[in-house]
Amino acid sequence: MEVTVLIQATDEAFKIIEEARNRALDVLNTSVRFTAEAKVLEEKKVQDIFKGAERTKSEVLSFLATFALLFFPFWMPLSGFFDVFHLSIGVGCCALVAYISHDLLFVNVRVGDMRTIVKRFFAYIPWLIYQIYLASVHVIKIVLKPKMPINPRIIRFKTKLQTDISMVTFANSITLTPGTISVDIKEGEYYVHAIDEEVAYDLLYGGEMEDRVAHVYMEAEHVYVQDVLDVARIYGALR
Amino acid sequence: MIITYEDIIIKTLTRVLAPFLQLYALYVIAHGHYSPGGGFQGGVILAASFILMVISFGLDMARRRLSEKVDIIFLCLGLLIYSGTGALCLALGGNFLDYRELTKLLPVTIAKARSLGILFVEIGVGFGVMAVMTSLVYDISTGGLPPERR
Repeated sequence: MEVTVLIQATDEAFKIIEEARNRALDVLNTSVRFTAEAKVLEEKKVQDIFKGAERTKSEVLSFLATFALLFFPFWMPLSGFFDVFHLSIGVGCCALVAYISHDLLFVNVRVGDMRTIVKRFFAYIPWLIYQIYLASVHVIKIVLKPKMPINPRIIRFKTKLQTDISMVTFANSITLTPGTISVDIKEGEYYVHAIDEEVAYDLLYGGEMEDRVAHVYMEAEHVYVQDVLDVARIYGALR
Repeated sequence: MIITYEDIIIKTLTRVLAPFLQLYALYVIAHGHYSPGGGFQGGVILAASFILMVISFGLDMARRRLSEKVDIIFLCLGLLIYSGTGALCLALGGNFLDYRELTKLLPVTIAKARSLGILFVEIGVGFGVMAVMTSLVYDISTGGLPPERR
């Protein structure tokens, strides 16, 4: 009789363990599913915030930013007249153009980042000019030799940049430096025509220009101290 | 049949460049009295910004920005401004396009009234030329078919 009770008890214990095991498996499956969906949901949440903000505040902000960008650095130097008549014509024209095209200039940009991106962009330009100087010296040395040891080739490499603005900045920087011309960007890969091995290897295995462009548009994976200091201001304001 | 080729560099640079193109076109129209330019030239540059969008993004995106209906409205508006200014001078008692009569409406000197009249006419010409150029490119790229039959 005790044996029967013992067997019953063990049976119930096994059932409980089995149920616990099934529940644990369920929890594991749901947690895996949740982590897979969490990323999607987070992206969608960011996008929704995006869309909501775009409808209300960002639209006015992009209108004003486009207006300011058109009026001050572009219309005033072109026009050169600073009397009321021409200034009012300028304001009217800039307002009209900003109204019809304000959604073209600032796309995919989080509003808080704009200042850091502009600052870093203006810090990137002198470095780019220095690279142009180095590359042109190199090309001149090659071209002025009577043998002209050029070895033109088209190289293809994957890029780690994500947004279209950063990819276009990188492509334009490649084209600006003598010796390389970016031919195409297809499916995240750059096709670049290089004039000899040295510039090609510089692009393929050096990668400094790509890192710098990623840093300008705040896509760099490694964290600089300056990055943290820059965003700390934004986080402080948010908190 | 039109084969589109998607290129990210051209798309990004077009969409960044388009507002500056349009502003430059309006600058050329407004400063016709001072630097080379005027109505026709500014209108062509304004149309060029939309044609650039047709080339880089395809016809659909450009039609979303400037549909054929709005195009025709701009065309008629341009013509209306031009001949309207002339008819206004006629109605105020002078000859057709004799801008001297505009001093009866605006408190300016005769010379300034002529200058303003020319400016109005140039704006009308600019809009009209922009509309015609854009509609030409739309017609060429669709073969003249209406939207229902493309």
